[in-house]
Amino acid sequence: MNSTSRLLAALALGAAGAAFAQGNPPTTAPANPATAAGQQNPSGGAMGTTGVTPQNTQIGSTSGSSSAPTAQSSPDTSSSSSTMAASGDTPAMRRARADRN
Amino acid sequence: MTAAPGTASRALAVFVSLSLLSLSASAPSPPAVEDAQWLARAVVATADNRAAPFAVVDKRNARVFVFDAAGRLQGSSPVLLGLAHGDDSVPGIGEREMSRIRPEERTTPAGRFRTEPGRNAQGEDIVWIDYDAAVSMHRVRATVKSERRLERLASPSVADNRISYGCINLPAAFYDARIKPTLGTHRGVVYVLPETMAPHKRFAFLSRPE
Repeated sequence: MNSTSRLLAALALGAAGAAFAQGNPPTTAPANPATAAGQQNPSGGAMGTTGVTPQNTQIGSTSGSSSAPTAQSSPDTSSSSSTMAASGDTPAMRRARADRN
Repeated sequence: MTAAPGTASRALAVFVSLSLLSLSASAPSPPAVEDAQWLARAVVATADNRAAPFAVVDKRNARVFVFDAAGRLQGSSPVLLGLAHGDDSVPGIGEREMSRIRPEERTTPAGRFRTEPGRNAQGEDIVWIDYDAAVSMHRVRATVKSERRLERLASPSVADNRISYGCINLPAAFYDARIKPTLGTHRGVVYVLPETMAPHKRFAFLSRPE
């Protein structure tokens, strides 16, 4: 293969790569927006729940060591004071935390 | 040539999950079903579930029953529960490290719990029973081999189903098939039957007129 052939082959490869790239637009709906944006909570939770945001301020205000009552002798434990950021059946998920396995 | 570490345990987990899924289709002991269905009827009659699917956990029989919003039984499965017998959580236990929770404190609390989908510190999707007390419902984890959690779930005995720190452990297949589509996507209600007192002492709706 002479130098002209090599040059033509390189040009063809480059053109094919450019065409492929042009044919694949960036996704606008990534499965995990936090990851796609290059941001990831080291604790595994959603971004924003560890920073200072209006939503987190509300959660943080009840996450102290003497926060909500646990399931004690109260017959109905649904009235936790650690409220959700949103109400309804599909609320915003609370901060990820360890469970008791 | 040696097998990769964890291969055997993964195979065992799959086998146990499949076995338990088939077991869940079989009828549990009549008293367990009757207790759960009796409570489910009262739940629906008083609209305590607010037209949402719900689950009943029978601690004495170490079993969970999942109902649709109308109170129709959708499925049941054995579960693992807190090591200690008792119906209350120790105050502040949700803030303590696991290693500092004494065996006698590892209770699964009883009562009515407004559940919510969530994630634990490892990023696993779970259902919070009591977020503040760190009690959740989740797929069984066989991370500590000496605990033999998979074997305990598979055994017909209920006496060996008390092993957790308070969480309710379910077979992974049952969790994915029955819990995740209902309680794992929306808020719901879980009723944990007490084991040290009469149910009406924990469920106010049982005292209300229908």
